[in-house]
Amino acid sequence: MTSYLDTRLKPGKDHYLAIGLEGSANKLGVGIIRHPKGELSDCNKAVILSNVRDTYITPPGEGFLPRDTARHHRNWVVRVIKNALEDAQVVPSDLDVVCFTQGPGMGAPLQSVAVAARMISQLWQLPLVGVNHCIGHIEMGREITNAHNPVVLYVSGGNTQIIAYSRQKYRIFGETLDIAIGNCLDRFARTLKISNNPSPGYNIEQLAKKGKNLVELPYTVKGMDLSMSGILEFIDNLAKDLFANKKNKLLVTSDGSKISVEDLCFSLQECLFAMLVEITERAMAHVNSNQVLIVGGVGCNERLQQMMEIMVMDRNGSIYATDERFCIDNGIMIAHAGLLQYRMGDVTDIKDTVCTQKFRTDEVWVKWRLD
Amino acid sequence: MLTPSAEYEAPDLKKDFIVDSTVEHTTNGQTTGPSDHVLQAGAVDRDAPSEASQNAMGSLRSQLTTLQDDINVFLTERMKAQSNEADLDVERRLLDEGVDEDSD
Repeated sequence: MTSYLDTRLKPGKDHYLAIGLEGSANKLGVGIIRHPKGELSDCNKAVILSNVRDTYITPPGEGFLPRDTARHHRNWVVRVIKNALEDAQVVPSDLDVVCFTQGPGMGAPLQSVAVAARMISQLWQLPLVGVNHCIGHIEMGREITNAHNPVVLYVSGGNTQIIAYSRQKYRIFGETLDIAIGNCLDRFARTLKISNNPSPGYNIEQLAKKGKNLVELPYTVKGMDLSMSGILEFIDNLAKDLFANKKNKLLVTSDGSKISVEDLCFSLQECLFAMLVEITERAMAHVNSNQVLIVGGVGCNERLQQMMEIMVMDRNGSIYATDERFCIDNGIMIAHAGLLQYRMGDVTDIKDTVCTQKFRTDEVWVKWRLD
Repeated sequence: MLTPSAEYEAPDLKKDFIVDSTVEHTTNGQTTGPSDHVLQAGAVDRDAPSEASQNAMGSLRSQLTTLQDDINVFLTERMKAQSNEADLDVERRLLDEGVDEDSD
């Protein structure tokens, strides 16, 4: 009997192949995934055939502007698609579907990649599926880690959300009220004028490892939500005082030594991550779950993983995280989530492929989960 | 041979954009480079488009770049003219008619 998941299987084939295009921020990613027929499970896993990424990197002290980021994506997308096909050793006629990020994200970069997706879909005569970027992160995280029903902490440059699944929706329990955590870290990196290569957050993390003294920063958890713009302004001012050699009693430790840039990075991370741990713990208690899955670019941060682990261990739970191949924006997660949608019957008509900067996680009907 | 073209239509103006296929075009556009902002910040451009290959697709790519340049220049000028007109209009209304902008 054909499973409800396999009504679209091509004759004579025992698997599906999808290509996914991601470009909602400064990473351009293209990935190709294979789903064996039947329901995915711990012994029937998706296979990653290729996962190619190219990052738009700006000079120190600069963020990425939509226009230049879109230009990067436009000028690299064909090369990255070619590399992904080559790595996967597949030809376009092997593919079942083209998936692309439809939102949320920055308008111009999203649009550039959507144009590329429409083009290859018409060129290769393949259906299109528009994917919610956050759903891509969650589903890829679940597939890689085998976490079945975790509380998801989604932390990146554009998003900070605590998510739990209920009745075919990923519901947002708590989120940032202003800027995202990655944005907060990136902007502090700009104040410090440190390199954006490979990423500003990574460089803050390395500096923080050398920090020893904790400077107390505002702690701004608001129920299940959190706010970070005030903390950023506070620490920005501290850094400016530090560079200008201005007197500030917060910049002197109890033993009289001076606070360093490393100490500031350490303090910022400790403060922000403690807030995340608190709301994650509360969400776990609410939904009675003992699994936590961390996804998104900031999820690579080892200190965040460590702090979360201490809390989760206390609750006799388990923590799941992925490495930079899947944490940081990538094409494979879009291919994976898009293929799940496609197997449930979804196709996006070309007239409906317009991108949207605002596309909330809980707008997506998670048809492929029946629990 | 594929030659791209574009049409612009507004209530007050109609314009066709046609690429001259008898001259050489490149993928290096006048208006499709990095923004001045990042260049001033010391950016090194590693995202330039690849050169056009010597085939129909390559010539389409370079002709499209020229077409895009023509459209960009035209639209930018038109937007500038429109915003100048709007500024002048506010000035004229304020000076000639004594209309206070904030009192609707």
